[in-house]
Amino acid sequence: MVVLGSLLQRLAASQGYSGQMPRYYGPQIRGGASGVKLSLDTTRASVPADTPDITVCFNWEKYAELEQELPLGINTVLFYDKAPPGESIALPEKSFQVGFSGISKDLTGATTAKNILALGLLERILALPESLSKGATVHDDALALLERNGLALNAGKRLLLEFPFAELKLSPPRDASPRAVRHGNAAIAQGAIRAGCRAFFGYPITPASEIMQEMQEHLNQRNGVFLQAEDEIAALGLALGASLTGAKSMTATTGPGLDLMTEMMGLASGAEIPVVIVDVQRCGPATGIPSKSEQSDLNHVIYGGHGDAPRVVIAPYNMEGCYRLIIESFSISEYYQTPVILLSDQRLGQTTVATGSDFLTEDYAVARRKRPGGESREEYRRYELTEDYISPMAFAGDEGFVYQATGLSHNEKGRPSFDFATQQRMHEKRWQKLAPLRDRDELVKVFGREESRKGIVAFGSSAQFVLETVRDLGLQDEVKVCIPELIQPLPRGLIGFVDSLEKLLVIEMNYSGQLYHYLRSQIDLPSDTKSYARAGGLAFSATELSGPIRELAR
Amino acid sequence: MSKESDYRTEVTPVWCPGCGGFALLNALTSRVLPNLGIPRHQALIVSGIGCSSRIPAYIDTYGFNSLHGRAVLIAQGAKLASPDLTVVAIGGDGDFFSIGAGHLPHAVRRNVNITCIMVNNFVYALTKGQTSPTTPFLQRGEGPFLSLQFYPPVDPVLDMVSYSVSTGASFIAQGIASDVPHLSWLIEEAIKHKGFSFVNVLTPCVTFEPPQFFKTIREKASYLKEGEPVELPDSSGEQPWLHDSSNITLALKLAQTPVLEKPHLGIIFQGRPDLL
Repeated sequence: MVVLGSLLQRLAASQGYSGQMPRYYGPQIRGGASGVKLSLDTTRASVPADTPDITVCFNWEKYAELEQELPLGINTVLFYDKAPPGESIALPEKSFQVGFSGISKDLTGATTAKNILALGLLERILALPESLSKGATVHDDALALLERNGLALNAGKRLLLEFPFAELKLSPPRDASPRAVRHGNAAIAQGAIRAGCRAFFGYPITPASEIMQEMQEHLNQRNGVFLQAEDEIAALGLALGASLTGAKSMTATTGPGLDLMTEMMGLASGAEIPVVIVDVQRCGPATGIPSKSEQSDLNHVIYGGHGDAPRVVIAPYNMEGCYRLIIESFSISEYYQTPVILLSDQRLGQTTVATGSDFLTEDYAVARRKRPGGESREEYRRYELTEDYISPMAFAGDEGFVYQATGLSHNEKGRPSFDFATQQRMHEKRWQKLAPLRDRDELVKVFGREESRKGIVAFGSSAQFVLETVRDLGLQDEVKVCIPELIQPLPRGLIGFVDSLEKLLVIEMNYSGQLYHYLRSQIDLPSDTKSYARAGGLAFSATELSGPIRELAR
Repeated sequence: MSKESDYRTEVTPVWCPGCGGFALLNALTSRVLPNLGIPRHQALIVSGIGCSSRIPAYIDTYGFNSLHGRAVLIAQGAKLASPDLTVVAIGGDGDFFSIGAGHLPHAVRRNVNITCIMVNNFVYALTKGQTSPTTPFLQRGEGPFLSLQFYPPVDPVLDMVSYSVSTGASFIAQGIASDVPHLSWLIEEAIKHKGFSFVNVLTPCVTFEPPQFFKTIREKASYLKEGEPVELPDSSGEQPWLHDSSNITLALKLAQTPVLEKPHLGIIFQGRPDLL
């Protein structure tokens, strides 16, 4: 099913159609239930609607496992392989049994070509140009698969003699230039390379593993350092070692891995070593639901660890943001000598998005680490208290600036110190150096009319559903939306947004309302503030969010 | 305190007088680093947490006193990103054999060209005398226990030296804090070895061990010399063989000899070099 969705998305993208395709899969190792939901849009990569226009189902037993995530609508046109068992599924009016498996077997001797058959059928229904699959294969390795399956593809196009689907024909895309298809995890890897990342250390974990795989590929080609570590403690430790010598270093994980990295994160904060950590959140606690999205690591990334260790937290809310903000993460991490956590989630990480590629070629400022300049100095002070609290950091190996760092409380020279005034000053240094980030207004996205006094704050992938629902309800003029991409330190732009409101709604996907409580701890919220928070797993839908958003607009 | 060598910082060690840490500090700053001619800026010393892990502050190369058990990680990361650096990880028996033990076999199989020095004093000294994985396990009535302050160990010794030999670590040596010239030579050989090297340094803890403990080790120690007969403990019925540090089977036998019976000093095993 994933192959079918991917091929259709790539085919349509090669003709200029945008869209998103979240993946749904269960705990199977291989061959269990899997599904996708694909939006094809003439203008933008919109979130797929709650219920699809067309559904293809190969297996009703497997469908039952994903039914909550892939509900049928009354107007959905359904194609299915075999009749559903008993009365278990209420079929929509326009349902068609197409024996995909049987036809595939007759044609090719195996049932495995059923997805290609279905693709042929969908191509015809959507009226994608005939020549399309041929032309596209030249540019796309994945689509080359189709050439080898031409028989099944063509058979699929001839599947239904009666063809009452004229209304499902796609309008032409506004711009027919090809869209690129990638998921957030791939965008993060690509952005990291763009930012100059030279060393990646990781440990396999769902749903972050794609970042590691992509980085392996990228760094192999560029003679970088890649290593699959023995665990996440090792992954971050190795990254810190590489960073000490000046290499831009990163790791990527999800909740359980972040738990293991937490002590090392404190060390990076205290010893002021740049490093970027990506957290592709999944449902917790403990093992939770590894393949499903949640936003429940927020508390951990902001506060996790002992001893008052500041760090920076940045959260993209779309695929393009994954790319742009991993570059920003490296910039901030290197410049401020601090760990930066890029807080993504499964939905962002694994949803493939077809969209324009302009963001890949834009200019992104990449700040560098301040290094001690000029003559070598015997008295080089690694943690020198400067005006901006940022001390020039030599790369291990630089001549003339030898220093010894430590996780112990230390003085400006890096010497272990148990002087209490020094302890106070060094805390101040590590916290205050991050203060200028609070004025980075461009890392706070605001949508809607400024005069509006009703607003929503949401972050990460949930923010996409919020924007989409506000738009669907036609409430753009009444309700404004703020999406903080910079979460920690708390940006002033977010405070300004909240201060401008009479009514505030905070929407997030975790049970305890972590974002709501974080805001409440830092900002005087309007007396009319509501929190809409629930556990993850099931994606938000427009139907679900329209309740609280209408309530806000009232 | 005046600087004794170009490689010493002005910082006075926190160690107790007579601590084995001084032997390692002298070995590194007065012999190993000058002998090998490593410029100060081209060495990185990473340590964990414990008495011996204070050492980076005393050596004027790049240094990092990191987390308990994790020095070997930071050392590997630095070496991978910057192969021209000489990278040494230093820690205690708690670092390498307890909290960080899970990292050691992976460092062994990865064979990154770093040197690990384990200052093995058989006790958790910084935390005031608790048993460590290398605290000798003595049967009741078999003599004085290691620590006067705590209960004796109830678990057998974790013999990671044998373990590392058995997993094919590319260089394993054992030295003793009471013989700085020999220890220095071992560390030099370890650094020169292209690949992962591990030096176990038998070290007294003057505060939490009865004096006869290290005295026993020192008296029973014997030096391994390539091609010459090895000394075996009195309890051994085996015929002494000629030391061959390339023979992993013989190396394993040496590593498995209980330290209170016959500590072998020298290069125990030298296997495949770094393939990178």
